[in-house]
Amino acid sequence: MKQVLNIFKKDVRHYWHEIVVSIALLAAFARYDVRSWANGSLVGYAYEAGSFFFDSRLLSGLVDVLLPMSWAFVIVRVIQGESLVGDRQFWVTRPYEWKKLLAAKTLFILVFINLPLLITDVFLLAKAGFSPTHYVVGLLWMQAMIALGLSLIAALAAVTASVVQFGLALLVVVLYLIGMGSLSEQIPSSSFSSSIGDAVQTALLIATPLVVILLQYSRRTTAKSRLLIAGFAAVLLLILLATPYQTVVAHQYPRLEAGHQPPVRFSLLPPDKQPDGSVPADEKEVRIEIPFGVSGIEDNSIVSMSGVMVAIEAPDGLRWNSGWRSLGWSLFSENNRAGISFTVKKKLFERIKSLPVKADIWLALSVSRDQNRTEFVVPRGEFVLPEVGFCAARGLSYEPDIECRSALRTPSSLLVTYDISQSSCPGMEGQARAKPGEISRYWHSHSDSGPADFGISPIKTTRFGTVNNASNARAIAGFCPGTPVVLSHPELLRRTRIELELNDFHLGDYQDRSMRSSAWR
Amino acid sequence: MSVIHTENLVKKFRRVEALNGLNLDVPEGAVYALVGPNGAGKTTAIKILMNIFGPTSGRAEVLGVDSARIAGRTFTAIGYVSENQEQPEWMRVGALLDYLRPFYPSWDRSLEEELIRQFDLPRDRKLSNLSRGMKMKAALASALAFHPKLILLDEPFTGLDPLVRDELIQGLLERAEEATILVSSHDLAEIESFASHVGYMEEGQLRFSEELAHLVERFREVQVTFDGAPRLPERAPENWMQMNSSAAVVRFIESRFETERTGAEVRGVFGEVRDVTFSPMTLREIFLAMAKTGRNAG
Repeated sequence: MKQVLNIFKKDVRHYWHEIVVSIALLAAFARYDVRSWANGSLVGYAYEAGSFFFDSRLLSGLVDVLLPMSWAFVIVRVIQGESLVGDRQFWVTRPYEWKKLLAAKTLFILVFINLPLLITDVFLLAKAGFSPTHYVVGLLWMQAMIALGLSLIAALAAVTASVVQFGLALLVVVLYLIGMGSLSEQIPSSSFSSSIGDAVQTALLIATPLVVILLQYSRRTTAKSRLLIAGFAAVLLLILLATPYQTVVAHQYPRLEAGHQPPVRFSLLPPDKQPDGSVPADEKEVRIEIPFGVSGIEDNSIVSMSGVMVAIEAPDGLRWNSGWRSLGWSLFSENNRAGISFTVKKKLFERIKSLPVKADIWLALSVSRDQNRTEFVVPRGEFVLPEVGFCAARGLSYEPDIECRSALRTPSSLLVTYDISQSSCPGMEGQARAKPGEISRYWHSHSDSGPADFGISPIKTTRFGTVNNASNARAIAGFCPGTPVVLSHPELLRRTRIELELNDFHLGDYQDRSMRSSAWR
Repeated sequence: MSVIHTENLVKKFRRVEALNGLNLDVPEGAVYALVGPNGAGKTTAIKILMNIFGPTSGRAEVLGVDSARIAGRTFTAIGYVSENQEQPEWMRVGALLDYLRPFYPSWDRSLEEELIRQFDLPRDRKLSNLSRGMKMKAALASALAFHPKLILLDEPFTGLDPLVRDELIQGLLERAEEATILVSSHDLAEIESFASHVGYMEEGQLRFSEELAHLVERFREVQVTFDGAPRLPERAPENWMQMNSSAAVVRFIESRFETERTGAEVRGVFGEVRDVTFSPMTLREIFLAMAKTGRNAG
């Protein structure tokens, strides 16, 4: 312990500038985080809060970037203070014990990164109205996730000899990630499916930096450690290339069993308007949107359109398959139309746009049951939503949203439903009331199952927006105080996939010339 | 007993063979000078001894410990100073010594003070602001203050002015009685004054290793003067090196000099000669002869 403290004290003396900057940035982060709850989180409302809001957002964004950078810098400096790379360092011929050296460096990071962050998180929780003692496990979980992120930095610092070398290594990592992202875009279905590969990747992501750090401190075999990192990158690439995505998706979203009713029925609708079939010269892809009539959704059911795969077979034998693509929108019992969109290469479109093709559309569906409904009237000022946190109507005064701040994680599943016609908002001049029964919903869900979300701040904000689905798009809407809403916590029941067969289908009829993104109506 | 012992030590850096079967023994209490031209493998050998990197094959022992296991506490008995070692330049001299002190159970505060005085080291000056000579003094002070059993110095005097070099050597010699010292150098003049043993390395191998006094004793420059033109022998004894002749004189270097035996050998090879002189050689002259001949003198 004596040696650990000796090294630790030396590092504190040497790196106090870096420590001060990092803690100052953390203090600034806390200040801006607190401000963001007080002022709301949307930039679009800046004009309501005055010009300082823009400045504040800018500085806040800057601090969000600089804070992790300062941590990375502190870690690189402190680890490279006793560099593990090379054969000229004075310390390698001194009575350093590698376990104690590693312990000293770990202690430094814990004391000057993790501990200040933990204290800040406790302060932010208390400031946000949550009792920190109720969130000890979550706070430690957050620290563990931050430590995992820092271990990646530490591993890179351990195999590089200087800050510049570290920067170059980081650049290589960034380029690798960009390359993997681009490659993933090229591999059908890879961006949609999650698989066993994800578990392997996570395990490797945790294990590799730890092994590299241990290897470097115990043996200082830099070449082997770098090879290990390269091997890890190669394994990730291999997983990306070799995963049988369609099989994985088929396993995750099994076919509907015989005799079972589909959770939703689709019937092809004629195109909204007749496109002229021309494609602007500068566009490389053509977007196709196929409108469907929707029926058969049970009252308490929510059908999430998780993904879509389209296969086209032209009369001349040409076959094309889009691979699985994520969709990420949901259908409720009141919905009677849905547009399913995808893109095809312009060259392919030009070739088959007027041919009667056979199109098979597979939809990956997640069926949830809307349960535990409670009626609620939006009160004035701040109010408590059970299992969510502290909420308030915020945003545009004539059409506010509900903004909630939660401790450590956003609600795993919360659906806010309201009858637009019952909005208590006064509306603006010329606005009319929506027809009774026109429903707006906002469903927030996420699948992260840990006790805390990843992030620096323990306060998570969720905004339940006012999606105006009224037939009159200018109808009065919004969660003004006095508006009755229904809160519920949908629960996932099952996943399934269904297939829609379209014969003699003319792709050219469904060319989407608008710039709208995939949407449901 | 050998404080340092290596057996067939080989070190390859990709295709370059830095050590090619090094067999080295440094006896306890010796001031052993490991000499040889640049690139002979001296630094590589010392770095393997210090476990800064491992050998490709062969083995080495330092203070009875396998060099691959030298780490942590083993270094409480070893003082290592190298010309190209990176020091924590941001530290002041005093802070460096204060920092290192807790690492060594045998650290001697009074010796530390003595070394500071002897080397005239400014405690409050940063290492980065010191001259090369002063940096080397600080490094040596920090390597001597704990009474190491073994002191390893890798080219410690390179680039230093004679005054600083003498101060360092003086400081070193005052501690020589309690430690074994291995010092590598390519400057023979500087080690001649204090080494007790010498080993000559070339092309990754130890060409010879022996006590300095014995080495100097067995090398002589021999000058044979003839009455007429000299008759060079077709085959000279293998311990005669760099034989050359001019007018009525033949010169060579004898590497196994014994007055009577060498004299008899000269007479046996050349027959009657007018005169034979045996001149002592400096270490530098001996090694130059060795390097030029490129053969084993042992």
